[in-house]
Amino acid sequence: MTATTVTPADERVVAIGLVRRLLVKPEFGALVGAIVIFVFFAFQSDVFRSMDGAANWLDVSSTLGTMAVPVAMLMIGGHFDLSAGVQVGTAGLATGIMTTYWGLQLYASLAMSLVLMLAIGFVNGFLVTRTGLPSFIITLGMFLGLQGLNLGFTKQITNTVQVSNLDLVPGYHSLNNILGSTVTIGGAKFQIAIIWWVAFTVIASYLLLKTRFGNWIFATGGDPNASKNVGVRTNRTTIALFMITSAAAWFVGNTQIVRFGTIQAQSGIGQELYFIVAAVIGGCLLTGGYGSAVGAALGALIFGMTQVGIVNAGWNSDWFKLFVGVMLLLAVLANQFVRRFAEQSRR
Amino acid sequence: MSDPQITEVTESADVPMLEMRDVTKMFGSVISLFEISTTVRAGQVTCVLGDNGAGKSTLIKILSGVHHADHGQLFVDGVPVRFSTPRDALDAGIATVFQDLAMVPLMAIWRNFFLGSEPTKGWGPLRRFDAATAKRITRQEMGEMGIDIRDPDQPVGTLSGGERQSVAIARAVHFGARLLILDEPTSALGVKQAGVVLKYIVQARDRGLGVIFITHNPHHAYPVGDRFLLLKRGRSLGDFAKSEISLHELTRLMAGGAELEALAHELEREPGADAASVGRELLRETETLG
Amino acid sequence: MNSRTRGWLLATLLVPVLVLLSACSDRNAVNKVHNKSGGGSGGYGYKIAVVTHGGAGDSFWSIVKKGVQQAGKDMGDSVSYQSDGDPTKQSQLIDAAVNAKPDGLVVSMANPEALKAAIERAVKAGIPVITINSGEAQSKGYGALSHIGSDETIAGQAVGTELKAEGVKNVICVVQEAGNVGLEQRCAGVKATLGGTVTNIQVDNNNLPGAQSTIKAKLQSDKSIDGVVTLGAQIASVAETAISSAGSSAKLATFDLNADVAKAVEDGKISFAVDQQPYLQGYLSVVMLTQYKANLNVLGGGQPVLTGPNLITKENAAAVIKLAAGGTR
Repeated sequence: MTATTVTPADERVVAIGLVRRLLVKPEFGALVGAIVIFVFFAFQSDVFRSMDGAANWLDVSSTLGTMAVPVAMLMIGGHFDLSAGVQVGTAGLATGIMTTYWGLQLYASLAMSLVLMLAIGFVNGFLVTRTGLPSFIITLGMFLGLQGLNLGFTKQITNTVQVSNLDLVPGYHSLNNILGSTVTIGGAKFQIAIIWWVAFTVIASYLLLKTRFGNWIFATGGDPNASKNVGVRTNRTTIALFMITSAAAWFVGNTQIVRFGTIQAQSGIGQELYFIVAAVIGGCLLTGGYGSAVGAALGALIFGMTQVGIVNAGWNSDWFKLFVGVMLLLAVLANQFVRRFAEQSRR
Repeated sequence: MSDPQITEVTESADVPMLEMRDVTKMFGSVISLFEISTTVRAGQVTCVLGDNGAGKSTLIKILSGVHHADHGQLFVDGVPVRFSTPRDALDAGIATVFQDLAMVPLMAIWRNFFLGSEPTKGWGPLRRFDAATAKRITRQEMGEMGIDIRDPDQPVGTLSGGERQSVAIARAVHFGARLLILDEPTSALGVKQAGVVLKYIVQARDRGLGVIFITHNPHHAYPVGDRFLLLKRGRSLGDFAKSEISLHELTRLMAGGAELEALAHELEREPGADAASVGRELLRETETLG
Repeated sequence: MNSRTRGWLLATLLVPVLVLLSACSDRNAVNKVHNKSGGGSGGYGYKIAVVTHGGAGDSFWSIVKKGVQQAGKDMGDSVSYQSDGDPTKQSQLIDAAVNAKPDGLVVSMANPEALKAAIERAVKAGIPVITINSGEAQSKGYGALSHIGSDETIAGQAVGTELKAEGVKNVICVVQEAGNVGLEQRCAGVKATLGGTVTNIQVDNNNLPGAQSTIKAKLQSDKSIDGVVTLGAQIASVAETAISSAGSSAKLATFDLNADVAKAVEDGKISFAVDQQPYLQGYLSVVMLTQYKANLNVLGGGQPVLTGPNLITKENAAAVIKLAAGGTR
C-alpha cells in the first residue's frame, strides 16, 4: 500500500458551513413550519400561547407523535404500515379484556398484550419480506382484519363496543402514575405521555443516525437490492421495524386505556394516515431511504398545534380537514424547495 | 474482514488465486452457463467478454456467492470452495462491484463506503456507528484513488458515474479484497470517464489484486487484460492468454466472425461478384463497430 | 435454526404460559358479565332482515342489534342484521336482503331519498316493511307498515327545553360523526328551544383523545360556554373529563346511554341523558313484523310508535346502570 497521503484541508470544505448543513437536514422544513404555525396561532389566541393551551396541544401532539416516529422509521426503511392506527386499539382492548374479563393481573396483561403486538408486527414484517408484495397491501389486509377482530371479539366478550372500568382494577394506580398522570408546570397540567414522546424521539433519532442498525434502515429503504448485495440484513431490518411500530402501538393503546379507564372497540381507526402525514411533513420520502425521526415529531407537533389552534382561534371546526390538506401540501413543497436550494449550493 | 491493510500477495505462478472448472448453471430448463473454465492470478486481469445474454451476470453471481453452480467446481488458492451466501465470498476476499454499484444514492458517501461493515465504538446497547473514523477513512481511501472528496456527507447520487465507480472500487480495495470482480464498469460511461476507470483497474492490479473485468467491449478489455474468456449464449468460445490472441481476433470472435463469412457466401449478388469481398466488407464494418 | 435461536423461542413461549398461570384472579375481573338469556320459546320461524345505517362500532346501534337478536330468539324467528352508514351501500344491502325473500324487512332511514327505490321494491314484492329510528316523515309514503323510533328533532328540542330550565345560555353541540343527518337534527332541535347560542363542533368518534382535546380547547377559548351537549354515549364520558380538566363549570347533557353515562348521571356529573331506547326499537320491530305475518296486527293506528325521548336523571339513573352494563340499555 502506498504511503498514506494526507489530504490537505480544502478551503471549499470550510465553506460547507453550519447554516448549509442545517438547511440540508430533512427536518429543517418541519422546524420552520412548526415555528410559523406557532407564531400564527399565538397571534390569533392568547389561550393558545398560555401554559394551559400548550398543555393541550402538546397532549394531541404526543399521542400522534409517539406513533409518527416509528412510522417514519418504517417509511425510511421503505415500507408503510396501514395497520398502525388500528393496532393502538388492539393493544388497549387486549389489556382491558385480559384484566377485567379474564382476571389476569394488570401488569401481566400488559406483558401479554406486548407479546401479542410484537407478534402482529412480526407477522406484518414476515409477510412483507417473504411474499415480496407491497407493504401497503399486506398491512391493508392486516388493518381490515384487525378492525373486524377488534369489534367482533370485543362485542362477543363484553356485549358492548368498549372495554371499561380498568380504573377499578388492583394495581391501576401505580400504572396510571407511569402512563396517565400529569405534571404541573407553571400552573398547567402536562400529560406525562409528552415526556415519553420526547424520550422515544431522542432514542429513535439516535438509532437512525448513530448506529449500525440505522445505517441499515436507510440502506434498506434507499436500495434494498444494493444493500442485500453488500451483506446488509434487509429482511431482519424490515421485520424489526414493523415490530418496533407495533411496540409503539402497544404503548399508545395502553396509555389510552389507562388514562381514560376505557377504550372503544374501533379506537385508532383512521389515525394511520395522520401518522404518515406527520412523517412526510417531517421530511420522509414516500419511496423510502430518506427522512427523520425528529422531523416526524415536529410534524406531529404541527398537527397538534393546528388541531387545537383552530378551535382556540374560534374558527369553524368543519374546515379542519381542509386546513390539514393545505398544510400538508405546503409543508411538502417547502421541504422540497429547501432541499433543492441546499443541493444547488453544494455544486 | 477487519484488517484494512492490503498485504502484498506473492502467489506462486502455479496456483491461481481463483479457478473455475467446468462450471454449469441452469435455470429450470434454460442452460445459463455450460462448462465454463478460467483462472485469475494475483496481479493480473482476467477479462470476461460477451454480448448480452452470454451469461456474464450469472457468472458473477456464482463467483460472488449469490447463486450456486449446478455442476463444476470453484477453487480459491487451489482449495475447492462453495459459497453459501454473499458473505462467504466476501470473507474469502472476493469483492464484487455490481453494475448498479451496490450504492444507495440517497445516502452519504461515507455511509455507503461502510455499508454492511460499519465500524463501531462502544459496547452493548450503546454501540455506536463510528462516524468520525468512517469519514476519515473514506476521504483517505478516495484520496489514494486520486479523488478529493470535498464533503463526505454528499449523497452518492450526486457524484458522476466515474466517481461512483471509484468509490465502489476504493471500497472493495479497502475491505481487503484480494480479488475484484467488476461488472461492466465502463458500459454506461463516456470515453473519458471510461479511461479513468481503466486506470483504476490498473492501479488495483498493480497493488497485487486479482481482477475479473466483465465487459462487452473488446477495445476496453484488451489494453488492461492478461487473460480473456469469451462467452456466447452460455458457452465458452475460448479461454486465451494475451499472448495467444490479438485484438483483431478477439473482436472477430466476439462479433461472430465465422458466421459472417458463411453469410457472405449466401449473399452472392451476381455471378462473378466477389463474395469474399462482401465478406471482407462485413468484417471491416464489425471492427469499426467494436 | 441454531440452538441459541431455539433457546430464545422457547423462553419467549414459556414466559406467557408462566405469566398466565400465576396471574389470574377474580379480583381483576371487574367486568365479568353473567349473561342471562331470555326464555325464548316462540316458534314462529319467520325470516326477518334488518338493514340499518348504523356504524359498526357505534354503541347505540349495537344495542339495537341486541334487541333484534333477543326478539329473534324470543319469537323463534331467524334474523339477520346488516348495516352501513353510506346510503348507497345501505340501499344495496336492502336489495340483497330483498332478493333472499324474507318474511319481513326492518330499515332505518337516515337518508330516505337514497333508500326509496329499494324500499318500494320490497313493498312491491309483498314484503312488509317497518322503519325504525330515522325517516319518520317518509315512512308511510314509501309504503311501510309503521315507524318505531324517536324523532331526533323532538328529542333535541326536549334537551333544549331542559337546559333552558337549568339556566344554560351558551351551548356547544359535539358532533362525533361528520355528515350524520340524525346528529345534525338533534343539534338543530336544541337550538330551536334553548333560546341562547348553540355552536356545533366536529370531533371523531374513533379518536377519543383527540375529541377530548378539542372540547377542552373550546372551553378554554370561550369562558362563556356553560353547557355541553354530546350526541353519543362514548363522547359523553370524554366530555366529562374535558370539562373538569379545563376547569369549566359547564353543565353536560347527552343523548344515548351506556353504563358509564348512567353512573355519571347518578353521580351528578352529567345533568341528564336522553334515551330513545334503542333496544326497544330493535326488539319491537321484529315482534311487530312477526305479529303482522301471524295475525295481520299493526301497531300505532297510522302514527309512529315512539320510544323516546326518555329522560334519565339522577332520580332514575341507579336502576338503569346495571342494565346498561349488560348492553340492553
